[in-house]
Amino acid sequence: MNEAPVKQAEERRPDWAALAIAAVLVVIALVIFLDASRLREMMGYSPVGPASVPMAIAGALVVLAIWTVFAGFRGDFPKREHQEIAPVAWIVGGLAAQMLLLTTAGFSIATGMLFALTAAGFGKRKFWISIPLGIVISFVVWAVFSQLLKLSLPAGPLEQLFF
Amino acid sequence: MKQFFLASILAGAMALPAFATDYTILAPAGPGGGWDQTARSLQTALQDEGISERVQVVNVPGAGGTIGLAQFASQQKGKADALIVGGYVMVGAILTNKSPVSLQDVTPIARLTGESVALVVPAASPLMSVADLVTALKADPGSVSWGGGSAGGVDHILAGLFAKAADVDPTKINYIAFSGGGEALAAILGSQVTVGVSGYGEFEAQIKAGTLRLLATSGDARVPGADAPTLTEAGLDVVVQNWRMVAAAPGLSDEQKAAVTADIQKLATSKTWQDMLKTKNWQDTYLSGAEFDAQLAKDISSTEAILKDIGLVQ
Amino acid sequence: MNTFEYLLQGFAVASQPMYLFYALIGVTLGTLVGVLPGIGPALTVALLLPVTYQLDPGGSLIMFAGIYYGGMYGGSTTSILLNTPGESASIVTALEGNKMARAGRGGPALATAAIGSFVAGLFATIALAFIAPYIVKFALAFGPREYFALMVLAFVTVSAAFGDSTLRGLTSLFIGLALAIIGIDQLTGQTRLAFDVPDLLDGIEVTTLAVAMFAIGETLFVAAQGKRAPDKVEAVKGSLWMSKEDWKRSWKPWLRGTAIGFPIGAMPAGGADVSSFLSYSTEKQFSKHPEEFGHGAIEGVAGPEAANNASAAGTLVPLLTLGLPTTATAAIMLAGFQQFGLQPGPLLFATNPELVWGLIASLLIANFMLLVLNLPLIGLWVRLLTIPKPWLYAGILVFATLGTIGANPSVFELGMLLTFGLLGYFMRVFGYPIAPVVVGLILGPMAEQQLRRALAISQGDFSVLVTSPIAAGLLLLAALALIVPLVLRARGRGDVLTKMATDED
Repeated sequence: MNEAPVKQAEERRPDWAALAIAAVLVVIALVIFLDASRLREMMGYSPVGPASVPMAIAGALVVLAIWTVFAGFRGDFPKREHQEIAPVAWIVGGLAAQMLLLTTAGFSIATGMLFALTAAGFGKRKFWISIPLGIVISFVVWAVFSQLLKLSLPAGPLEQLFF
Repeated sequence: MKQFFLASILAGAMALPAFATDYTILAPAGPGGGWDQTARSLQTALQDEGISERVQVVNVPGAGGTIGLAQFASQQKGKADALIVGGYVMVGAILTNKSPVSLQDVTPIARLTGESVALVVPAASPLMSVADLVTALKADPGSVSWGGGSAGGVDHILAGLFAKAADVDPTKINYIAFSGGGEALAAILGSQVTVGVSGYGEFEAQIKAGTLRLLATSGDARVPGADAPTLTEAGLDVVVQNWRMVAAAPGLSDEQKAAVTADIQKLATSKTWQDMLKTKNWQDTYLSGAEFDAQLAKDISSTEAILKDIGLVQ
Repeated sequence: MNTFEYLLQGFAVASQPMYLFYALIGVTLGTLVGVLPGIGPALTVALLLPVTYQLDPGGSLIMFAGIYYGGMYGGSTTSILLNTPGESASIVTALEGNKMARAGRGGPALATAAIGSFVAGLFATIALAFIAPYIVKFALAFGPREYFALMVLAFVTVSAAFGDSTLRGLTSLFIGLALAIIGIDQLTGQTRLAFDVPDLLDGIEVTTLAVAMFAIGETLFVAAQGKRAPDKVEAVKGSLWMSKEDWKRSWKPWLRGTAIGFPIGAMPAGGADVSSFLSYSTEKQFSKHPEEFGHGAIEGVAGPEAANNASAAGTLVPLLTLGLPTTATAAIMLAGFQQFGLQPGPLLFATNPELVWGLIASLLIANFMLLVLNLPLIGLWVRLLTIPKPWLYAGILVFATLGTIGANPSVFELGMLLTFGLLGYFMRVFGYPIAPVVVGLILGPMAEQQLRRALAISQGDFSVLVTSPIAAGLLLLAALALIVPLVLRARGRGDVLTKMATDED
């Protein structure tokens, strides 16, 4: 999708996303470098110790960051399609809801919320249908996997009502 | 009359939980591993023997069992129906991972099974005995590579204790950590390392087939059916056993602790459990009460000492 | 009795109608559980093993064989249709398979995966029966330095999965390598990049990363396209079945995949994932249509799928002949074998021939049942794509998180799932390939540890890395794989430029 790199004049402008990515890579490299330099060099009999490989990876990330900056200035980055934020927020919300509810409300209710919020992200916002549907599906999944197959899935009030 | 009848049913219903506790066993490992198998065997045996009505197993894997241990200690405080499976590996992991929670934060009930660690060499190796190995180690510690499980684990600890008992600097041992006994077995079979250190069961089939030579085992007694001395018999004052245990929650009253101990005692002597040990090829090393506490304390202090000697713990 | 008679006897037992039925139940259960994203073969076998205990030894053995092959195969279906591989061995299947499914060629992709798995399973199981002792000798010749050389070769060949930009491919790979550092360093017991978080001590679980980056990243990316993306995908364009051309392009990759997968699966530190990576890059090298790679080349499905199933049989080589479990799945199987009174080890073939040959016959029958079950199911699976998106993706997330929660019910793990899901999404937005991240996480620690082990054994002498013939051969192969395409590209560039110039008008 990124054929014909030299097209219009506006592509001569630096790609800010590329610069941001490069910055992130440098930060990761820095974190690795700091962490590795605090390690005790317990080499044993190997000249390559526990810090050697992390240092090499940190170095490579810095090189890649520089390369990314060049690519950004040359406009080598592919054109991004427009992204809609709302659906992403719905689904991330669903995953967060599941994470927070899992230990207190149990698997079925938590995962039911994930189901409904994901469906909402794709445009189905009728929660009076999707939440009960999600909980029922998750409950069936819970019953099969925890009762039949003995997988340890967190139980909440709903599960304890039945089992 | 009617009231008395009702009251007796109620009393009966309330008394029921006192007869059979519904245990929840925490396996501090993923499904399929050794602790998970121990937990699930306990589950089956407790239920089949009618010691407990319903037993649940919960897996909390990670970091040599210390994550499960920490969660158990904080969330199950004072609950008499909560059990956790653990073992010697945890003792080392608590120290190397600098875990804030230790075995003092739970109530150890009983040791259930145990395994001797074996020292083996390939059949073609010039090393014929423990004495040969000591000589080679003294001559050049670096040239003797020990293949075993992860750093700081029971295999590594044994290698360190061996060196120390043979008057060799334990920091000079050339220990090669592999991921689990399986990969170490492959390395020793391929003669990639000088000595193999791992649970006896891991090597048993190869020893019987004659592809590996057993130099010694680490327990306080010889492994039944194995033609090799213990390390103590071979002149090195080293005893290591890789045991598995069951512990209860912290903060139990003495009666509660006694009740759990009685249940586990009943389990350990039951036919179901004994049959299970046989099919799984686990050695019965049941030990409970004060004797177990003393053994545990001894293991913890000696492990801490050797991990410091090897340089894994500061 | 000789080998062959034992095998025939095994077949006679295993082909009783009741046992065939057990085999069918086994593959059905294995496929159904294995197909769920996030639940790989190890968890599938662990979950379903107790089901087999209810039966007599013969019946449980055959059902077990079915579960194992079914679980191994199951992962490819969701990879192809939904771009959500649930385990590391199906990641490369998603690369080409999902592109095919999007072009309405999900049917042929699933078919070539199913038949390739069958062919690989058939040849590899036969190899297991007859040449296991030789293969195991070869596998044991691999020490740390040989593995290190193999990892170097694997690293060089991952570039086949880089997509259209070397910069972004390399960046992805190094992000994976950086993630791989996290956790306890196995050789010294020190923690790296864990920041005193106990949950990070064991490092990042490959399945968590794979499920997050593929299943969740994909869901977020599809959702972010909003109304522009059609609500339903056209499931079938052209034939549901493989065309003559598909067959012609598939059969060689099946055989090459088997040849790569079986020995690598037999190696104690090999595994299905490594063999699927190597197979993918091999197919790209051999293909007459390398330009189709990345856009739905059937060879890229046929080869890796055959390779990962062949390595499933390969895993049984060290397990049966040495009693050596080399993967999590094998460790669980070992526990299972003990239930059947089968004590794997060098004496197994001598002491328990009926059981061993019974198992091998069971595996062959299970392999066949898998084909019988899955070919007709292709039509049904493809229809998965016609489920309206809101419900389809909601369901995917339910199962993707189920696998993670089942393996480790911790809030922290779900947090990682979310974090890496977002990372996967952003990488998709900026055109970074996903597979190299997971490949880096898998290969990084292997390469590092093997290198350090080799050097510790040699007490610091670097020359050992090249003085073993196998290691030297593998490194040479790696060098060729790196240099030859560069040379070809340099020589070919002129041609392509002139061709482009003539294409202009």
